[in-house]
Amino acid sequence: MEVLLIGNPNVGKSVVFNRLTGVGAISSNYSGTTVDFLKADMLVHGKKMTFIDLPGIYSLTNGTEDQMVAAKMLHSASPDCVLVIADATRLEPSLVLIFQLIELGYPILVAMNMMDTARKRGELDVAKLSKILDVPIVPTVAVTGEGMEELLKALDTCAARRSNFKVSYDSHIEAYLEVMKLSIAKAEVKYPARGASIKLLEGDEEFTEGVPKDLPIQVRKLREEFRKEHDEDLEVHVNRDRYGEAGRIISEVSRPNVQPRTRGQKLSDLTMRPRTGIPILLAVLAGVLMTIIFLGSWLEGTLLSLYSDLVGTFFTDLADSIGGELGQALASGLDLSIQAILAIVIPYILLFYLILALLEDSGYLPRVVVLLDGVMHKIGLHGQAIIPMLVGMGCSVPAILATRVIESRRERLILGTIIVMAIPCSAQMAVIIGTVGNYGGIVYVLAILAILLGLVLILGRLLHKAIKFEPTSLMIEIPDLSVPRGNNILRKTWVRIKEFFVIAFPILLIGSIALELLNAYGILDQLVEPLAFFTEGWLGLPAIIIIALIFGVLRKEMSYQLLIVLFGTANLATVMTVEQLFVFALVMATFMPCMSAFAVMLKEYGLKDTLLMAASSIVLAFTLGGLANFLFQVF
Amino acid sequence: MVSENIEEYLECIWELTQDGTPARTTDIAKKMKVSPASVTEMMQRLDSLGYIVYEKYKGVTLTDSGNKIGETIKRKHRLLERFLVDVLGIANDKSHEEACRLEHMLSDESERRISKMMNNPTTCPDGDPIPALDQLCLNKDEDSSVLSELSEGDEGIISHLSCDDPQKIRRVIAMGFVPERCITVEEKLPLGGPVLVQVGDCRVALAKEYSDLVFVNTRRHCQKRHRHGGK
Repeated sequence: MEVLLIGNPNVGKSVVFNRLTGVGAISSNYSGTTVDFLKADMLVHGKKMTFIDLPGIYSLTNGTEDQMVAAKMLHSASPDCVLVIADATRLEPSLVLIFQLIELGYPILVAMNMMDTARKRGELDVAKLSKILDVPIVPTVAVTGEGMEELLKALDTCAARRSNFKVSYDSHIEAYLEVMKLSIAKAEVKYPARGASIKLLEGDEEFTEGVPKDLPIQVRKLREEFRKEHDEDLEVHVNRDRYGEAGRIISEVSRPNVQPRTRGQKLSDLTMRPRTGIPILLAVLAGVLMTIIFLGSWLEGTLLSLYSDLVGTFFTDLADSIGGELGQALASGLDLSIQAILAIVIPYILLFYLILALLEDSGYLPRVVVLLDGVMHKIGLHGQAIIPMLVGMGCSVPAILATRVIESRRERLILGTIIVMAIPCSAQMAVIIGTVGNYGGIVYVLAILAILLGLVLILGRLLHKAIKFEPTSLMIEIPDLSVPRGNNILRKTWVRIKEFFVIAFPILLIGSIALELLNAYGILDQLVEPLAFFTEGWLGLPAIIIIALIFGVLRKEMSYQLLIVLFGTANLATVMTVEQLFVFALVMATFMPCMSAFAVMLKEYGLKDTLLMAASSIVLAFTLGGLANFLFQVF
Repeated sequence: MVSENIEEYLECIWELTQDGTPARTTDIAKKMKVSPASVTEMMQRLDSLGYIVYEKYKGVTLTDSGNKIGETIKRKHRLLERFLVDVLGIANDKSHEEACRLEHMLSDESERRISKMMNNPTTCPDGDPIPALDQLCLNKDEDSSVLSELSEGDEGIISHLSCDDPQKIRRVIAMGFVPERCITVEEKLPLGGPVLVQVGDCRVALAKEYSDLVFVNTRRHCQKRHRHGGK
């Protein structure tokens, strides 16, 4: 049995999906968190069920690319049940979506989510609504798990029935439908004649497949005729009728209490109003940065000293007991890999993701988007680009996927380039703070961040000029602020950093043991020698650094971790000057995307643009590095 | 459906009345290359159809519906001339004749697409202005104003949507900007930023590009079905 989860953005689809399947879909308090679909097989009451979580959509006809993913999936699948997640606190858009699904003849089950908030705001007669719509409705509170058992039970019978509910449209439209139904009924169309006719009249080209050839021409004539008579586009009128119907139904099934604005809502307003919102925004951003820098480096120091106290002479003993060069390599490879995790993943990466999860779940991010939209337009992007940029401070991979919320390919390219070149991911941030930050002080960190910020502005401007067409504009729903739930934050953070332990750690371990061995037999020097003119001459760095740079392509954090391995010490100050560390950190911050980012770029932007972006980032990184080295030499 | 002949006459009258004075039947006869007697006969017919007001000795003025047809045909004519000359490279004198024939066949949708493809040209090859494209759906409700021009705190009912750009209109509809829904302007953000509105139970920020498409009647008031107890 195949179950499709569908609903407006930000109604809690992913939370329901997680509750039903236990699979880690990431959910946040803003629209567009799921840009691709997620699938999970489950055994429910002895039956195999496949759940598919679609990105949120406002309408089945046209939208941004992430929304089109949902519409296309729905179109190509023949689910046994469509589970609509409705929002009890914003019923109208949910009902309009349900109307459309009923028209297209899908077997529907509705989860009426966010019932806890809705109950506080007034009465909602779910049974009556269910009767009017002629579909089963289960009240749920996904975040607490309320209603999930009932939902699973109801799924069993979902496939069996189709709703007989009908929205009645304007008499002209109904007359058109009657005519069209006749000619559609003769053809082989996947959908009920009435539903397909409405979609055609709305101008949705997805539905022209299989209909008689002359029908689209007829539809165009009807649309023009309607437009002339009503001075309004037909699809506007169709939706006017749908919302009208939704409004009528809501007034029948609910009785709201008028309530004074709560303190939370007042705070919500403050974060939106420019006069108070912009200072709050600056404070939040500064707070995030300072927390990562100071709390991060404190954590790193504490963890490392705890670790060395704990291990004592364990690794030297281990090396001795295995014996020889191999023993040495194995023991120090293992030791340094663990240190690298403690020095980078936990203090910086984990911390960043915790903060990001807090910002996401509170619903603060869309406010940042709105407040900065004007500024972002100046660099050829719209405010919504802020979210991928912030996500990019964690990892470029989800950030590049998140660029799908942007409608035009042009802006996605600009944004992708900025993310890859100028937004430091948490691994790059760890490199910056761990190297030059540790040994040179916060001034150097801020200097690099300032250079990167400058890059964002310059790159944006340049690309804006170079790639033609105007930026598209912002339209985004702003959710209420809400108090984040601890378990969602922890779960989400774990899903995001799991790969550092299960993928990155083994690679690092093998890589460092291999390097230790090569180093022990003196092969490493011979490998790096030929490139010394570049590393030493141009960047002014020790020749061996090239190994770190190359491994940095594999995973960014490894460049720093390998410095420790290569030099055989966690105290880099003994082998490199602060200036050298600065150059190194600057190169790493702008250097080409890591393998996983490269792969996802390939998928999103195609080979040509990806290669171009990668090549220019290498050029940029080495130019900046060389320039910085030159300036240090001169002054 | 209006006959080609009527469209031709209305187009001609439209052009002659652009200076703000009524068109004289003798000028119409000269321009249409027909006898004054047949013009007089045609004018009486157009008058009875409600396209023009015809007063003997004073001349001819267009009614709203006549003006709309005349302007539409002229616009299509000039746009087509421009298209034939600029895109197809047809000589100036030939393009006029051809445009005269095509102007009656061209659908509104194709016209919009041609205009868009050519970046909405404003003059025809002779330098005459091409009337602004399709004022349809713009002045539908006299009491309504465009959302982008409302002030903070304004409230009303969405009266209609502009209908020039189906792609954008659909997106606006999908976000719930649909006629008869209640809307409140909460904030206007600086630096050309978006406007923040409450529509139904949702709060949406939208840029000028979109708020330009939504028309709101601020004289009509919402029934309070709000979740917030007012501001």
